[in-house]
Amino acid sequence: MKAKIGIYVCECGPNIGETIDIPRVLETIPALEGYEDVELVPKSFGLLCSPAGKEYLAKEITDNGFTHLVVAACSPRDHNSTFIGVCKEAGLNPYLYKIINIREHCGWIIHDKEAATDKAIQYIRSGISRVLYQSELFERQLEITPDVLVIGGGIAGMEAALSLASHDRKVYLAEKTGELGGKAARFASLLPRQGRGADVIREKIKAVEENEHIRVHLNTELESSIGFLGNFEVVLAGNGDDEKTDLKVGAIIIATGYRMSDPGSFTGYEYADTDEVYSSLEIERMNGGEGIALRSGAKPASVALIHCVGRQEKGYCSRICCNYMMKIAGYFKKQSGATKVTEFFFDMCLPHKADQEFFDHSVGLGIDFKRVKEIGLSGTSVEFAETGGGKQKMDFDMVVLASAMEPSEDTEALAGLLEIDLDERGFFKEAHQTTDPVATSIDGIFVVGASQGPRGVSDSMLLAQATAGRIRCQLKPGGKIVPEVKVSEIMEAYCTGCRTCLEVCGYGAIYFDDQKGISIVNEAVCRGCGNCFGSCPSGALRTKHFTNKQLYREVTEALK
Amino acid sequence: MTEKQQEREFTPKIVGFLCNWCTYAAADLAGSTKLEISPALTVIRVMCSSRVDHNLLLTTFFEGADGILVAGCHPGDCHYGKGNYYARRRYAVLKKVMEGLGLEPERLQLSWVSASEGNRYADVVNAFSEKIKALGPNPINGRSDF
Repeated sequence: MKAKIGIYVCECGPNIGETIDIPRVLETIPALEGYEDVELVPKSFGLLCSPAGKEYLAKEITDNGFTHLVVAACSPRDHNSTFIGVCKEAGLNPYLYKIINIREHCGWIIHDKEAATDKAIQYIRSGISRVLYQSELFERQLEITPDVLVIGGGIAGMEAALSLASHDRKVYLAEKTGELGGKAARFASLLPRQGRGADVIREKIKAVEENEHIRVHLNTELESSIGFLGNFEVVLAGNGDDEKTDLKVGAIIIATGYRMSDPGSFTGYEYADTDEVYSSLEIERMNGGEGIALRSGAKPASVALIHCVGRQEKGYCSRICCNYMMKIAGYFKKQSGATKVTEFFFDMCLPHKADQEFFDHSVGLGIDFKRVKEIGLSGTSVEFAETGGGKQKMDFDMVVLASAMEPSEDTEALAGLLEIDLDERGFFKEAHQTTDPVATSIDGIFVVGASQGPRGVSDSMLLAQATAGRIRCQLKPGGKIVPEVKVSEIMEAYCTGCRTCLEVCGYGAIYFDDQKGISIVNEAVCRGCGNCFGSCPSGALRTKHFTNKQLYREVTEALK
Repeated sequence: MTEKQQEREFTPKIVGFLCNWCTYAAADLAGSTKLEISPALTVIRVMCSSRVDHNLLLTTFFEGADGILVAGCHPGDCHYGKGNYYARRRYAVLKKVMEGLGLEPERLQLSWVSASEGNRYADVVNAFSEKIKALGPNPINGRSDF
């Protein structure tokens, strides 16, 4: 069949209409050399992305029986999807169409109209040449399971589970220890305005246990996972017994939390077990029990609360310490108003809207805040220098250390198992810190709570609920997913089995077929970046819709 | 025609392989800001700078490009994680190959331009165009005796 290409130039109001000589473009196209066997039909329209424009274009495709379509208009980032929609409606495979950006690449940046028109003609030539080498591609629909696996039964994991569980979505909650609640369950209180920690957590635990759509697996860890968004096959293993559970889930949420770093490992904080030096969690425990006391049983008359322990070594702020140290200062003041409380900090971190108020309240309680530039411990003597001051020494009955939060001990192993990235601090890495904060490098695997960086209870809840929202949108019960179509494929005959592509793929989308001795792309996982293509020494790879031939056509026309 | 006139007449042909996520978006931004950009450059959109392999680059030179710009996301910002690091390695290797072919390595440039850097995009393209203009035509254009 003779190819018949529709070439539609959009005036885009004055944006193209006044910057490019459209009549000259339309005159030039039929006279292009090398297309004697192809019918070229160039036309222009006022605004192709308008409802009238879309209707017009769809009708033109059908009436003319175009085999291919070129739209010379704006950036594909603006209206590629619009014209893909038009193609679909008109029954033309959208991969036989190409948008040419003559607005951003010609009309707007080449300020001489004649030169801009020449450039536009060159781009359209490239487009016509390329589109002839494009092939039909077909979207596939894959069945999904809406069920979700949550790893970690702390506050973030429980909240994610509660937000997701419903009559048409089961949640499996795997917790490594023998009980739910995580670290927050051990706090006597959350921040003052958040109520009693133990009560809040107990309510959550009760809600999880009573929810018939959540299945809790205690003393259980992830053993293996393969698959992709909508279709993960995972195996859970009991850590006290040999019990294995095979599950099919559509998404995995990591909520493995954090651990407190050992303050003794940081310079200046080398202290003996017998010293009256405590971690914040130890104070929480005492406060929730018999009251805060020294080893002798006496109540301390003076206490130093030291923030930012290990911050310099770790290279990050743990965000929550300033708030919880002020909370702990409150425990002491409540126990005895006469207790002398001094807080030492390098920088005050008050990230939430009510934090300033809390700080002012703490100052009102008579707590002494000292901003320091250096600090060290000798027993319960604190040697320090305030910013702008010289060295001083103060003696206390008791010292409490706010040590840096660090990734929990299983982080690295879990990342390896799931093939997702860690950041340079050792926490799980988000797909994008600012714009995609709960996704990871693998579609369908999410990371919430302190496992992706230091954060407190309220921020952990936020991420858990956000993730639940993402999963609800992506994995609708009974729904299907449409994987990327413009993916890589391996031409078996050319593959030498060197496995270089397996190394470079950031998505684990390529696996090795031992029987055939070649690499194979899992098209449901591939995102179509083409990195494997760039790495293949034997030319066995093909990147659909960005094939060599297609790109060579663009290059050749550009250089004519 | 004197040599000087020839120099003035020379309009370089430059091909720019831009990654879809960062630099192509920067080009859009430069466009919507209506910055003036050299018409010497023809943009070819690829999904990631890591797709641009040696064959594509060498073919582009053999077909007569006077210069090639490969541009993508800044290190650490790759949409696909690490694609731009791989692009950088391949680029470093190709520079050596170009020397062997008698092609000035400066004719190939790798730049990082993020989606928000419309001004930087215009500067990079215009400066590269000037550089290629000064270098003169591609010495291996049309040669097949390698």
